[in-house]
Formats: sequence, C-alpha cells, structure tokens
Amino acid sequence: MSQLYAFGRALALLRDTWKWTFRGSLRRQSKVFARQLYEVGNRSLLFITVTLGVLGTISVFQVLLQVERILPEFSVVGPAFIQTMIREFAPTIAGLIIATRVGSGIAAEIGSMVVTEQVDALRLCNANPVDYLVAPRFWACVIQNVLLTVYGGLVGICAGACVAHYAWQISWGSFFSLSLVGFPDVISGLLKATAYGMAIPIAAAQAGLETTGGSEGVGAATTRAVVNASFAVVVLDFLLSGFSFLFLFGNP
Amino acid sequence: MIRFEHVSKAFGSHQVLDDVSLVVERGEILFIIGTSGAGKSVLVKHLVGLLRPDAGRIFLDDVDVTSLSEREFYPIRKRCAMVFQHSTLFDSMTLAQNVALPLRKHKGLRAQAAEVEAVRRLDQVGMAAEAARFPSDIGDGLRKRVAIARALTLDPEYVIFDEPTTGLDPMAAANVDQLIRALSDDFGVTSIVVSHDLRSIFKVADRVAMLYQGKVLLDGPPSAFRATTDPVVRQFIEGRPEGPMQFPRKA
Repeated sequence: MSQLYAFGRALALLRDTWKWTFRGSLRRQSKVFARQLYEVGNRSLLFITVTLGVLGTISVFQVLLQVERILPEFSVVGPAFIQTMIREFAPTIAGLIIATRVGSGIAAEIGSMVVTEQVDALRLCNANPVDYLVAPRFWACVIQNVLLTVYGGLVGICAGACVAHYAWQISWGSFFSLSLVGFPDVISGLLKATAYGMAIPIAAAQAGLETTGGSEGVGAATTRAVVNASFAVVVLDFLLSGFSFLFLFGNP
Repeated sequence: MIRFEHVSKAFGSHQVLDDVSLVVERGEILFIIGTSGAGKSVLVKHLVGLLRPDAGRIFLDDVDVTSLSEREFYPIRKRCAMVFQHSTLFDSMTLAQNVALPLRKHKGLRAQAAEVEAVRRLDQVGMAAEAARFPSDIGDGLRKRVAIARALTLDPEYVIFDEPTTGLDPMAAANVDQLIRALSDDFGVTSIVVSHDLRSIFKVADRVAMLYQGKVLLDGPPSAFRATTDPVVRQFIEGRPEGPMQFPRKA
C-alpha cells in the first residue's frame, strides 16, 4: 500500500513540475537549468560512451559467434543490430546509466538541502521547491536523456560495426544497411528516452524531498532514488515495448 | 500576539509535543528552552507552516493559521521570519542573492533592485564587503549574520530565532543578543528564541518557557526561572548530568 501512495506522490510531483514549467520556471531558473544541462549531459558523456561502446562491441561479437555456427552469411546481423539498438539498447541502457549517475546526484543534492533546512528556508522565502529545484532538473534530464540516447546509440552501432568489419570482414555497407529500420523504430526509441527522462528526475527528486534524518537519511534517499528510477526505467521499457509492438510495429 | 492552543505532534510513535499551550505577547521576547530533542524547533516551525500539528490550533494575531494552505501561508511568512539553526544559506547563490531572494519572491522586486537593497541589509550586519562571496567562502559566525540579514529584510513583525548563538564566539553571540533586544525595544518586533544559551536567556529574555517531555514545564519571567525549585529545571540550569531529567530518545 505504501508503494501505491509513493506512486501517487510521484504523479503529484510530476503534475506540479509541469504546472511550474508553464508558470515560467525555466525562464526564472535559467542559470540552474543551464548548469543542470551540463551536469546531466556533458558529465555523463564518458560513462555513456564507454558503456554503450562496450555493449555494442560485445553484443555484435557474441551474435556473430552464434550466427557463424548456424548461417553461412552475416548480412542480416548489422541491420538487426541497428534496429535493436534503436528500439531497445540505446534508450534503456542510457536510461539506466542516467538513473544511477544523475538520479543519485539529484536525490543527494535535494536530500542534503532538506536535512540542512534549505528547502524550509526556500519555502519561507516564498520560493516553491518544485519551481526552484525540481523543474530545472526535470527538463535538463528530459532533454539530455534523449540526446544521450541518440549519441549512445551511434557509439554502440559504430563499435559493433568495427568488430564486424575487423574481426569478421563484414563490409561497412552491409553492416550499416538500414533495411530493417523504419520510422516506428525511431519513434519507439525516442518515446522511451523521453519517458525515462521524465521518470528518472521525478523518482530522484521525490526521494530527495522525502529525506528524513541527517547524513544517514541522505544516503538512504540516494539508494531509494537509484532503485526507484531504475525500476521505473525497467517497467516503462516493458510497457512502452508492448505499446510499440501493438501500435507502432504492426505484427512482429 | 501568537497563541499555541493544545498543540500535539508525533513523528511515528514518538510524541514530540503533547498538548502544548503557549502565548507570546506583541513585542515580547520569549525564550523556549529544553534539552535537545525536546520539541522546541518543532513547535516554532508550526507557526510558519513548515510543520502541521496532529491536534490543537495556532493563532497569529487571532488569525487561525493551523490549516492554511501553502499558498495561504505566504503572507504569514512575510510577517513572520525565521533564522534557522544552521543558517541555511543557499550554496549556489552569493550572499547578496541569498538576502535578495525574499525581496524578489515576496515583494516582487527585480533582481538588480533586490540585490541593491540586499547589500544595504548586509551593511547593517557588517557584511556588505562580502556581498559577492558564496556561503562556502565564509565561516559559521558570518553565515549566521547573513541569515539574520535575510530574515529581517522584509521588516517582519515576528522573528523566530532557532538557536541563534550556537557555534558563535562570545563576542558574536553578544552581538546577536543585542540585536534581538534592539528589535524588540526599537521596532516592537516579537521574537521567539529557541536556545540553550543560559547567558542569553538571563540577558535578553522577557519570558522563558521550558519544554520537557512534550509539555510546558515552566512558563514565566527569567527571575522565576532562576528562582525555581523544580528539580528538572534546576538540573537544566546547573547543567548537571545526574538528576531526575529523562532525556528524550531520538525521533
């Protein structure tokens, strides 16, 4: 039951974030928003590059090992890998990375402000914490999660292509064929990236705003943020994949 | 005038306030004392809507503020400022921006005008030269001064000081005491001071209320506090670790 209440509070926080956005939060908090864009985006680049690059390398390597035993030719590997990367790997892996790296940071920052009474001080100054703290982080996460997903997908695909070309002598043209990729695949991937980009900061900010106690409480809030944000990514992946198969891809 | 009427508050199974009633007259300086965890800060936070009571009612000039919404509390917070225990300056803002924030949000001043006024306010606490610095660049005592400047920037009628002299050197603490007294004497500001500092109590307070086990154990002038024979209050005044006083468990 408490999980349901927590979900309800998360939805209320999402509603308030939109409300403050329409009231000009990003204009008022433009400096915070710019800093958050940098924090979420630029500072995640190395993590995304390494993780998606290694994932692309290993995935293509393993697939080609298996395909080599069954099929005589590899022409379908590249297009299928690119399709899977766009539909699934890029948004979900990038989402999980942002959930851990950025989600923990948001929860720790807001949680520290709660336990040091800075959030109370904001309220006394007639400044709403959602306006000041949540909305800029929310939109920075949404924008950068989409951009990092596109970037991470490209890195993964290029890394996979290098393995295919140099280890199995598959031509660049054959690997980079977009014969299996359609507009619905791109829409599905971007839909997931946007949804994760919304869910992660809300889960993290909620954990931060509900921090109790001292530094121990901040630690617990950080853990809760990472767990909830990662859980949100996985559940949304399941739901949006189902939606995509039913309404975007037609018969799989 | 501030009235707390039969206020109770619990966190989980821990009853922090139990049927607390207290009146603060206009222009008065009330010191609320008690051991750590006695519920002093919890009580005063109810006045500005940072906490909501489980039972009881709170009045500010006969206006019942107990169940006001967050938005309805804005005008109350304009009249009733609070200096927090740990200063609580915003790390990402300069000292001037910290002091300017209430001016911008409550009075709707533009950023530049608010910062000019903020520097003037900082000058009153001897901090104008540091206006462009960040809270992390200065020590606790100076941060406290800036927090006081921020709280007074809207010329409030009521000010809550949560342990204002904790962590300050004796000179800085004496300055804060002087300031609290001057606010009352010169401007008629009503102050509620949460404190452990016996020196400040005897120097500044008009009245003292001691919270113990969620209830008001003593409520009277400093002379009555000093003369009391209540063994718990005596133990507190004399700072003896042994005695009848039971220390509250952690909430």
